[in-house]
Amino acid sequence: MSAQGKGGGGAALALALENVSVPGRLHELSLEVGAGKMVGLVGPNGSGKSTLLAVAAGLLPSVAPGVVRWAGEAVAGIPGLERGRRTAWVPQEARFEFGFSVRSVVGQGRYAHGDDGAGVAEALERFGLGRIAERAVDRLSGGERHRVLLARAWATGAALQLWDEPLAALDPRHGLETLMLGRELTRAGRTLVFSLHDLRVAHCLDEVVVLHEGRLRAAGAPEKVLTPELLREVFGVTARVEPGLTLFL
Amino acid sequence: MKTVGNVSALVVAGVGLVGLAALSLAVGDARLSFAQIWDGLLRRDEFAATIVWSIRMPRLLVGLLVGAALSASGLVMQAYFRNGLASPGLLGVSAGGAAGAVVAIGCGLAAVSLLTVPLFAVAGALAATGAVILLARRGASTERLLLAGVALNALLGAVTSYVLSAHTLTYERNAQILFWLIGGLEDRTWEHVWMAAPIVPAALWLLPLGRPMDLLSLGAEEAQSLGVDVRRLRRRLLGLSTVLTALATAVAGTVGFVGLVVPHILRLLVGPEHRALVPLSLVAGAAFVVGCDLAGRAAGDLRLGIVTALVGGPFFLWLLRRDER
Repeated sequence: MSAQGKGGGGAALALALENVSVPGRLHELSLEVGAGKMVGLVGPNGSGKSTLLAVAAGLLPSVAPGVVRWAGEAVAGIPGLERGRRTAWVPQEARFEFGFSVRSVVGQGRYAHGDDGAGVAEALERFGLGRIAERAVDRLSGGERHRVLLARAWATGAALQLWDEPLAALDPRHGLETLMLGRELTRAGRTLVFSLHDLRVAHCLDEVVVLHEGRLRAAGAPEKVLTPELLREVFGVTARVEPGLTLFL
Repeated sequence: MKTVGNVSALVVAGVGLVGLAALSLAVGDARLSFAQIWDGLLRRDEFAATIVWSIRMPRLLVGLLVGAALSASGLVMQAYFRNGLASPGLLGVSAGGAAGAVVAIGCGLAAVSLLTVPLFAVAGALAATGAVILLARRGASTERLLLAGVALNALLGAVTSYVLSAHTLTYERNAQILFWLIGGLEDRTWEHVWMAAPIVPAALWLLPLGRPMDLLSLGAEEAQSLGVDVRRLRRRLLGLSTVLTALATAVAGTVGFVGLVVPHILRLLVGPEHRALVPLSLVAGAAFVVGCDLAGRAAGDLRLGIVTALVGGPFFLWLLRRDER
């Protein structure tokens, strides 16, 4: 169980999973994420990170009696269009069959807002896509395609952002920029939960959630959670943890 | 790549359609001048009126409806399966419609009501669609999708041929089998026009679905997360595309490649946005089929299905090659 949001009794939960199970993938997992937090989801391949994000996004149902809540409200009761306004989800794979323009795909982030186009130009600029806005997405490189999906999620303006491995396909510069954009979101009161593998990044997060074999293994501030013992147990590697940096040996 | 504005593309397609329709009324075995056709249309000339209203007009209208239906149906299937090579003919949905129609005719049910043949065609097409979905899941590879279609086409073609062999007299058997396996617009009557008429409301129902189709064509989960009610949209798209194909097949037999060629050319011209593609595919599909029918008649009564295959076959091979790169 992760610590609640900052200050005072009124601190809201942006996301809560209660006893969520997906057969063979997640086992009675409970998790709370406070509003305005930047939370990293770590764990070995197959530990359930993508499944957790899909369940949190309301895309994959949990076995009863598991419940997913956004800002206290059960997701099952929220109509489709409103879900699109409240939460954005970025898949791990960026595959496009048809040649929509970059601008058009980012514009899809405004579907639930009646396609008003608000903030699309800004999202394109923020993710460095302004120059290629008219290019067809099926002709882009892997990293560029990922940035298109991230920009689309940004354009939704949703309060809860769930990104599945946003950094994996990006070069160091764009990876860093994406982290900074994520931080900007949380400063503005939005909540970002994303999965990642590069633990060197973990120390700039508010919280880290460690998954292992479909169960929650640990959650909390990165420096408290990412101990050499835990890393050895979960990842099977020997690591040295120094303030602000995790190094594998 | 977008090279033409959407509105101008629609205008061009519309003008082309009107021109082809006028030609289609004007050209035929009975040599009539444009003035006579005009008099016939206004029923001022009894002979011309008979030719225009009893023979050429139903053929033209059936052609328009069939073309619009098959083209839109292909467009929908491509978005649904997220695969630009999906189309009613290649996936066996047309063959399912033909098998259903033939079963109704073979069992003598066609005489019961005007609705029997189209209803059986819809049932057959639905069965084929169901089989495709089972065999090739959404977002399936091109190989899987096409192989499922090959198997279904062979199986359903055999059903059609068998039923016709068992229920028709020898001398008309081959003609009947030919009609259902390679569709055409010969001898179409007003009865066929009415049978195919539900294509109009089905097509109109498709018009507002263009925007959510954009999102669906890039991934179901993504579409859902952006606010699309994916389950409902999919049900609607699949139902409409199946009904469109079935009705077209019920009145014209299996006419291949329309649903593949027309959406592809349109995408090259105006880009992949479905809000433009849906209305365009209806108009351009109608124009394509009427044009192919005209070409077939000009070439000495080549059946429509043969002409569309002659155009579509090479086009399909070209697409396959291009996709490989």
